[in-house]
Amino acid sequence: MDLAAILFYVFALVTIGSAAVVVFSRNIVHAAFSLMFTLMGVAALYVLLYADFLAATQLLVYVGGILILILFGVMLTSQGYTLNFREATVNVVPAGLLSVAAAILLIYAFSTGGWVITEVDERTDTVYDLGMMLMTDYLLVFIVAGVLLLVAIIGAIVMSTRLSVNTED
Amino acid sequence: MAEQTLQSIGLYLPEITLVLALTVIILADLLAERFRNAGGWILLTGLVVAGFFTFRQFGASESIFFDMAAVDTYGAYFKSMILLAAGFVTVFSLRSAELKAYASRVGEYYMLLAGMVLGMLMMVGSTNVLLIYLAFEVTSLSSYVLTGFTKKSPRSTEASMKYIIYGSVSSAVMIYGISLLVGFTGATGIYEINAALSGGIASDQLLLVNLAVLMIVVGMGFKVAVVPFHFWAPDVYEGAPFPVTSILAVGSKIAAFGLLTRFFVITFTTATDGGGAAGWSVVDGIRWDLLLGAMAALAMIVGNLTALRQTNIKRMLAYSSIAHAGYLLMGLVVLTGQGLAAMMFYLFVYLFMNLGAFYVAMLFSNATGAETLADYRGLGHRAPLQAVSLTIFLVALTGLPPTGGFVAKLFLFGAAISAGWIWLVIIAGITTIISLFYYIRVVRVMYFEKPDEGAEPLRFSADTRVVLLLLLIPTLALGLYFSPLMDLSRAAVAIFGF
Repeated sequence: MDLAAILFYVFALVTIGSAAVVVFSRNIVHAAFSLMFTLMGVAALYVLLYADFLAATQLLVYVGGILILILFGVMLTSQGYTLNFREATVNVVPAGLLSVAAAILLIYAFSTGGWVITEVDERTDTVYDLGMMLMTDYLLVFIVAGVLLLVAIIGAIVMSTRLSVNTED
Repeated sequence: MAEQTLQSIGLYLPEITLVLALTVIILADLLAERFRNAGGWILLTGLVVAGFFTFRQFGASESIFFDMAAVDTYGAYFKSMILLAAGFVTVFSLRSAELKAYASRVGEYYMLLAGMVLGMLMMVGSTNVLLIYLAFEVTSLSSYVLTGFTKKSPRSTEASMKYIIYGSVSSAVMIYGISLLVGFTGATGIYEINAALSGGIASDQLLLVNLAVLMIVVGMGFKVAVVPFHFWAPDVYEGAPFPVTSILAVGSKIAAFGLLTRFFVITFTTATDGGGAAGWSVVDGIRWDLLLGAMAALAMIVGNLTALRQTNIKRMLAYSSIAHAGYLLMGLVVLTGQGLAAMMFYLFVYLFMNLGAFYVAMLFSNATGAETLADYRGLGHRAPLQAVSLTIFLVALTGLPPTGGFVAKLFLFGAAISAGWIWLVIIAGITTIISLFYYIRVVRVMYFEKPDEGAEPLRFSADTRVVLLLLLIPTLALGLYFSPLMDLSRAAVAIFGF
């Protein structure tokens, strides 16, 4: 096994392991913190695929930006409120059966399926290629993604602002 | 390169108009604070202009933005339906009593409505899974927020929460399926995916490809609210304000069927063998036509039987729209030019009859707060024009002559029979008769039960009567004079090679 493969498995394990902590941890700060390792693991996987620009963006935007926002959000919302959720788990048996069945089916399909394997070729000018593609082939989706974010911001404002302040009753 | 982009912009004007409308509403909301309803009028103007640009796209056949989207008669047909529905819903919103209480933030309402319409327009035109997913999300995100827009109503907030959870899970499943498909074929365009799949799937890949298709069926089945992915619909329709319920029941269903049909027919069938069961042969292993047929049958049975027991008018119409999703799906199941054209015709009639039913329900709710069936007692005497219109809309929804609903069902059932789906038509026929019971029950309550003592006749302004007639006339006219629309539907499905 060469070095790249070993590194791949290490980072894959880090990504999955910390993602599991995000899902299963009861403490929201622990969950937010382990999300950092998930995002960094994904960034490392991008590097292994020669997607250097994507890896840098992942670090800057997700680890450096969004994660900090999440931590601030956790810090600024009162702790008492977040800890006092009344937990109720319903339909454990049917949901469990369905998840296990889906997991077995997916694992079976993934391990027996014949994948199309593409050799990753080393790239020298990723940013140039990426820029060209965003301005040609993927121009429309690039712009539509911007509109999607605009709609999401408006939606977030509508959902999060308090009514009592600005509504005449 | 640059020429193609410029040419594409010229063919993407309806969508661009809506983005502009969205931004103008944002500006107007900032600058003209005193004109609360400015957003509604701007959106309406935008829809009319977009409608004009869409009208010019009939007869075109172009692939734009480097094969991201297509501009053709099929797309123009669906876009016209979406814009019509959105125009009516904007007019409903301007008159809605539920939204009056939120006058200070109604600007945001119209921004999100513009976003939702934009997403729906992109859904029916896209020929690339990337754009399909983004358009899907633009529509979904705005509809989640619009559902919970009336924040003071706990029902509305609960509906929004449920919708977000169901919606995000189903989109996640769909994007998983799409990623598997892209992983196999190495392509994101639906024509390239079709070419890769038609080249033959190795036997060890068959299971994965089928799983991918199944996951995509889950995501899209959720959007059209077909059984077994319908659980969100009654709660969301009941909790959302009336105009939002109308656009969800009509606009989003039209867009989802437009997308579902284009995506499925192009990606998973071979156009050369002309439809029927053989048309589904690209992906072996599972009889997809049978699976979709079973989903359609279940939707008709579950939707109509559950609607029988409803006392809330919105819930009843929600279950009825689940049943209609089943009827509509029949057109895709039979996979013939006749079937798809019948489905498109049905959608056009459905637009008017369902919006009409919701509009009258909204007028009654505005005037008396009526939401349950018991509140409709004696409305036939208190509001004659509105009650007669509701009766006609319900008769059309049942599928009785002389309305457009009858012709639409006739074409659809005829197409299914000639394709040999006798059992499906028998189920559809029986459930249609069942649906008569609950539709007519509303009529019976309105006319044969006396209003409360001293109840005054209800007054409605002249403009609501004009809107009502605009919905009523096509519902009736399409029952008598339908051949031009049917010819147009047939011309539109020509892009699939039928």
